Order: sequence, then structure tokens, then C-alpha cells
Amino acid sequence: MARFLMRRLVLFLLALMGISLLIFLALRILPGDVAAVMAGLDAPPERVDRLRRQMGLDRSYPRQYLDWISDFLKGDLGRSILTNRSIASQVGIRAQITFPLILLGLGVALLLGIPLGCAAALARSPRMQSFSHMAAIVGGSVPALWSGLLLIMLFAKGSGLIGLLPSQGFPALGWAQPGQALSSLTLPALSTGIIVGAGIMRYTRSLLTDMLSSGYVDMGMACGMTRTQAALRIGLRLASPQLVSVVGLTMAEMITGVMVSENLFALPGLGSMLITDVGNRDLPAVQSELLLLAAFFLFLGLLVDVTHRLIDPRFRGAARQEVAD
Amino acid sequence: MNADRHGTHAHGSVTATDTDAAQESGPSTDPELNARIRPMRSGGNTLPWKLLSLLLALALALSLWAGHRGVAGQAEGGTVADTVTVGLKLAPTNLDIRNQSGTALDQLLIGNVYQGLVSRDSRNRVRPGLARTWNVSEDGLVYTFHLHEGIRFSNGHALRAQDVVDSIRGLMAGHYQGSEMLEGFQGVQASDPLTVRLTLSRPYQDLLWQLSGRAGLVFDRRAHYDMKTQAVGSGPYLLDSFRPNDSVTLKADPHYWGSDKPKTQTIIIRYLNDDNAAVNALRSGDVQVLAPVTENLASPFRNNPDFQVKAGDDTDKYVLAMNGKGVATSDLRVRQAIRYAIDHRQLIASRGGSDGALGGPIPSLDPGYQDLTGLYPHDPEQARRLLAQAGYGPDHRLKLRLTYANTYGSELGDQLRSQLRQVGIDLDVRVVEFSVWLQDVHANKDYDLSLVDHGESHDFHQWANPGYYYNYDNHQVQELYQKAMATTSADDSDRLLAQAARIVSNDAAADWLFNYRVTTAWRTGLEGFPVDLNQSLMPLSDVIYRRA
Repeated sequence: MARFLMRRLVLFLLALMGISLLIFLALRILPGDVAAVMAGLDAPPERVDRLRRQMGLDRSYPRQYLDWISDFLKGDLGRSILTNRSIASQVGIRAQITFPLILLGLGVALLLGIPLGCAAALARSPRMQSFSHMAAIVGGSVPALWSGLLLIMLFAKGSGLIGLLPSQGFPALGWAQPGQALSSLTLPALSTGIIVGAGIMRYTRSLLTDMLSSGYVDMGMACGMTRTQAALRIGLRLASPQLVSVVGLTMAEMITGVMVSENLFALPGLGSMLITDVGNRDLPAVQSELLLLAAFFLFLGLLVDVTHRLIDPRFRGAARQEVAD
Repeated sequence: MNADRHGTHAHGSVTATDTDAAQESGPSTDPELNARIRPMRSGGNTLPWKLLSLLLALALALSLWAGHRGVAGQAEGGTVADTVTVGLKLAPTNLDIRNQSGTALDQLLIGNVYQGLVSRDSRNRVRPGLARTWNVSEDGLVYTFHLHEGIRFSNGHALRAQDVVDSIRGLMAGHYQGSEMLEGFQGVQASDPLTVRLTLSRPYQDLLWQLSGRAGLVFDRRAHYDMKTQAVGSGPYLLDSFRPNDSVTLKADPHYWGSDKPKTQTIIIRYLNDDNAAVNALRSGDVQVLAPVTENLASPFRNNPDFQVKAGDDTDKYVLAMNGKGVATSDLRVRQAIRYAIDHRQLIASRGGSDGALGGPIPSLDPGYQDLTGLYPHDPEQARRLLAQAGYGPDHRLKLRLTYANTYGSELGDQLRSQLRQVGIDLDVRVVEFSVWLQDVHANKDYDLSLVDHGESHDFHQWANPGYYYNYDNHQVQELYQKAMATTSADDSDRLLAQAARIVSNDAAADWLFNYRVTTAWRTGLEGFPVDLNQSLMPLSDVIYRRA
């Protein structure tokens, strides 16, 4: 396990360095620059030049990259050119909205997706099967924007049919007002959770269907279990490593997925921060934010792999064999 | 051995019992085996559902509790609210009013936190500011400003003539925003602590108006702070907190020097970029006033006695610029054809009908305005004739590219494409990010047609500057503008500007699609919020909210 972890950590760092180079170059290809945006429509060229010098944009690209990456490795994410705020603290503040939203959305998705997926796999009547199939397709293809609007029309305080929950913004004091904070995340979490849940439902159904036709479930049934019992006790357990991968990937996808909801529900999360920073061409901010997100993606992958080993004894055997070879 | 036993029993049961009964009692044909099946623990199947319903119930209870608390808090506040929340659209990226462009900063800070030597009213006329009076010498070269007594910055420092002098000198030395508009500036001195003398090398008609904007702002020369995140001024409000792209909190300055003391203690400004989100925030009471509200989304509020809706006068000009040096657009007949082809009434109607028609570069609140909408009436026949003269026809269709920033939405581009198609022009619409537009159109002038909402006021100088992205170079216009600025008579200046504007419009240097009038919606009971010009000038001291 230690050896496995070491290898994964080295790969993690190498991948991160590669990604940092990609991010840096990709952002430099974008047309337009922050000094021009800041100076505005009536600016004489001298003002734009002066701003560029002040912001250090006249340094060569390799120099800019090395300055950035060496600071990043030292743990200094830098400061935004435009707002002069530390990027680390900005990301920290925004993450307090985005990550709870992702976790809540994922919770909704799992609570909907896994039970419904199992039910769909176990359903025997063709009508029930095609119904659940349809439900998964419809649920998965609804745009988050639309489901969010529907939820607002139904449940938004003040304007909805059953006015229960706030539909706009986040309390000014943040999580110091836990009730209000949680209730302002409920509708956004539902709107993403339903869509992601449909995806998880489809995965669960197909994984479980595969298991149902596998020897394991037949064996279980031969030992006296009912089909349902064998599917849930043996099939689901055997499918769990793959489900963990799916959930890990889903969570990574949701980082971008919740941006739509953040925008619709006017939540000042990571998504809105990235969009405005790219629009303003605040490249030092964007590149550090993207690299942080990339690190998080990679970390999730690592976590999924480690979890596989922990929950599936077959992997451990394989690893031991590898070592023996 | 077990398997053996089962096997024999199974055979026995098939022969002994009724098949139907076996099927009813369980999956196996062996009743003994069926009896050994452990029933599914009920938790295995319904636990998720229990959790889900528990979670939903919890969320419901929490939200009811939160909602209840909110209402109780409001009732205790009495009839006059001590906090008013204002919803706006475009957020300032930072607070550095000397370097950061965009009217969002003027709107937020000028008159509320920072104050200028002079100010302007809701009809765009110059009014006293920090200077209570001023005189101008006969030749228009020397301006003497007399400051109010007892002016203080919010940090307690007294505001003296030297602060004014240092601010204006700093502006010119640093090439800050607004410095390019102080034409002919020669020098500025403090004659005594309350008197400032500003001298010009040549008369400049627009000086006072320019000083009512960023160029005339007075900063505390003894204060040191990060202008990107903080603001220290002499205005009625203190900047309490600034959350980029989210909100700004202003608190009334208890020691404010002026007579226009703030009527509301705390004003929270929330930036709502999504139009639907903004309307929802107004309806649910999260904000008490919303500016702008999209006209097409405003109609439910018009018929609701809980809300008031009004469109204000503004100087925003939606300019369809036609590249004066473009391959096709350098031909006057092509530009004229485009102007004849555009149906302004339809454009305005599809946006809700509150915007004003505009036939030239000067809007009604600026000097030199005259109604030029009659110059190019909607006339597709005339447009086709002009295009034919220019050598375009059914076999050789004119292809043009329209580039504009995505902040204006895609509808306008679609409408223009379909209107121009009817006269035989194929429009390729490119909707890009603002920074891309800045690079391609504004800096490199690589475009045929471009669309921008020029919100600035007193900006006719753009047409007298051949280097501006319009690529419009007309010596007569440049001369008229110079004369209009150099005259000491405001009436003469007006006349000359009007003359120049007519030439620009006749030349079809652009088409002015409409004069955008900002619609503001607010809760009944709220008073004193400015309706005219409120995207560039939003004095908040008169805002007061009396709850029913």
C-alpha cells in the first residue's frame, strides 16, 4: 500500500506540473488583456501601457510562468491584479458555498439515483422497465437552468406557488447563519441533484443488470436467495467499486455543473468567480484557481483508487501479486 | 451432503404438493427451503427513503424557521427601515476609481463616498459640490472655486484647497481616468485654504461638466489606503464592506459635513447579473429596488400595487458603428443603405417599448441635442437602390460581419441579421467576450460593423477623433467640435455641436439603434431613489423606505 501511495503521489505531482503548463499557455492564447479591460473605451494607449507595466505584464512568458509556479509551490497563490485580494482567501470564501452545494447535490443524487437504479434493474414488467428508462433519460437531459427555474416557480419564497425557500443569494454572514445558509442552498442542490441523480440511476441500473446476468447472482440464488436478495446483497456489493468511481467522477463533474445553478440562484461561489475573472482577463487569478481545481480533480482520482483498494479485497491480492512478480 | 439432502426433498415436494401452492409460498419448490429464507431486513430497502424524507422534513422545518425569523425581524424594525437593499446589474471589479473604467464605479462612489469639486443633477446640469460657488474669467481661462467651510473626510481630516490641488495634479501626472478630458489644462493652485484657481491654456466649454465626474474628485492627500478595496471620501456614506461581484455595504457617516444627510442608515447594494434572478430578488423582497429591470420582465410589476415601475432618461446610445475604412463600409452608399434598412421601431418594440428613438450621436440630456430621427426613415426600397448603385445585387450579395460583446445578448444581432437580409445583406454575427471585442474592434479596428452601448455622456469628442475605432475622419466635424469647445458661450457651443452631429448622422458614420432608457422598479413605500441617469449617477442620501 505504501509503495502504491508513493507511486500515485509522484504521478500526482507530475500531472499537476503538466497541467500548470497547459493552463498557462491556454490562457495566454486568449485574445484581450486585463490592462485594456481596466482602462476602458476612451483610454489613450499610454494609459494602457502604464497599467501593463504596473501589473507586470511586460515580463516575458517564461519569466511569468516561473514566477507563478515557484510561488504556487511555496503555497502562495498570488494576488488578483484587479482586486488586489489574496487569491487563496478569495477561493476559500467562495469554496464555502460551492463545496457544500456539491456535497448536498451529490447527497440528493445518491438518495435518488441508487434506490431508483436498483428498482429499475429489478423491475420485471417491461412497462416498468421502459418507464424507468424514460425517467432516467428525461431526468438526465433536463438542463439545470430549466429545472432550477421550475423549482423557483414552485418553491421560491415570495414568488413561488408554495413559497418555502429563498431562491436568491447567500446570507451575508455566511455559515454563521446556518439555517439561512442551508435553506438558500436547498433549491440549488435539488436542481443539480435531480439531474446528476438520473445519471447515477442509469449507472446503478446497468451495473446491477450486468451483475444479475453474472455467475455471482446465479450462485447466490442457487444458495437459496431470492433474485432481489442476491442482487442487493451480492450484486450491489460487487458493483460498489465501480459505483465509487462513478461517484468520484460525478463529483468532479459537478464542480463545473453547479456553476449553472450558482448563476441562476445568484450564489457567489467558485463558478461565478471563474467566469468574471476570465471575462476580466485577470490571468494570475484564473491560472491559480484553475490549478487548484485541477489539483482537486487529481486528488479525487487518487481518493477513488485508494477507496477501491480498501473496499475490494481482490485489488489487494492483485497488488501483492504485482509486488511478488 | 447438504446439497444432497435438499435435492431429495425437492424432488419429493414436486410430486407431493400442488405446483401453484409452491409458487405462491416462495421462490423454491421446497417449502422447507422457503422457510429458511431470511426475510429482507426492512431497512435494506426503505432506509434511503426514510433518510430522504427525514432530510426533506428537516430542510422544510429549517426554512420555515428561517422565514419566520426574517418576518419577525422586519416587524420589529418599525415603519421606516434602517436598511435598504438595492439591486444593480454590473458590478465593479475593484474600487480604484482612478484606474478602473466603467460607469459601475461612478454610479456607486461619486456623490455617495467620493465628492467632486462640482456635482451634477438628474438632468445632467452642473451643480455646486465641494465648491459652493465659482467664477470664470471673461476670457474663459481662469476658474476660481470657493469651497464650503468645514468639509471633513470620513476619517476626520479636514478637506482643504490643497487636497483639491493635489488631487487634480495627481490626476494629470498619473494619466488617471478623466485626465484626458481636461483639455488645455495648465495648472491649479490654492490661493487660500478655501479657494482653488484652475487655469487653462485655451477656453474649454466642457470643463465644469468634466469636473463633475471623475476628473474633479477630491481625495485625502494625507490618507494612505488600498484604493482597490477601500474608499475614503467626504461623501454622506462610508464604505463598510466590498465583496467583489457580490455586494457593497454603505453606512451613513454620522459626522457628514453637508446638509443632504442620509435618510437611511445602511444601504446594501447587491449585484445581480442574471435578469431572471434579479426579478426574483425584487419579487421576494430580497431587494427593495432594482435598476435596471429588463423591460420585458417588468410588466408583472406594473399591474401590481406593491411595486412602482418607471423608465428614466439616460445618455446610453446603442451605436452600430460602421468601419469608416472597412472594405465595403467605406462606401457611403453602403452605410446609408444599412441605415435605411433598419427598422428602429421594431427593435424598440421588441425590447418592451420604453427605449427612445435616436437619430444621431447626441442624446437628449447632452448639449447639442436635436431630433435627427427623420434623416434616415425605415425605407427598404431606398436601401436596395443604394446597394444596387454600389454594385451589389442578387448575384453579388453584400456580406458583412457584425462583432459585439456578449453582454448585450444575442437577440439584437438576430434582429439586425433578419432586417438586413430583406435588403440583400448577409450579416455574419459574431458575439464575443468584451475583452475580445476590445482587442479586435477597439484596438485593432478589424471589423465591418460593431455594436456597443456607449453609456458615456458628453462624448461627442469620439467623432472628432480620427484615431477612435469608428475610423471616422471628417475635418469639418473636427473643426466644429474644436470651435464648440473653445467658445465661451454655452449657446454657441450647443449650436456648433448640433451642426457637427447632423453631419455625422448624414454621413451615416454609424446607426444609432436607440437611446436605452433604464427601467427602475421598486417596492411601494420606497422613495428618493433616482430614476434618471441612475446607471452613472446614483445619489442615495434621499432614499427612504416606509413599510406599509
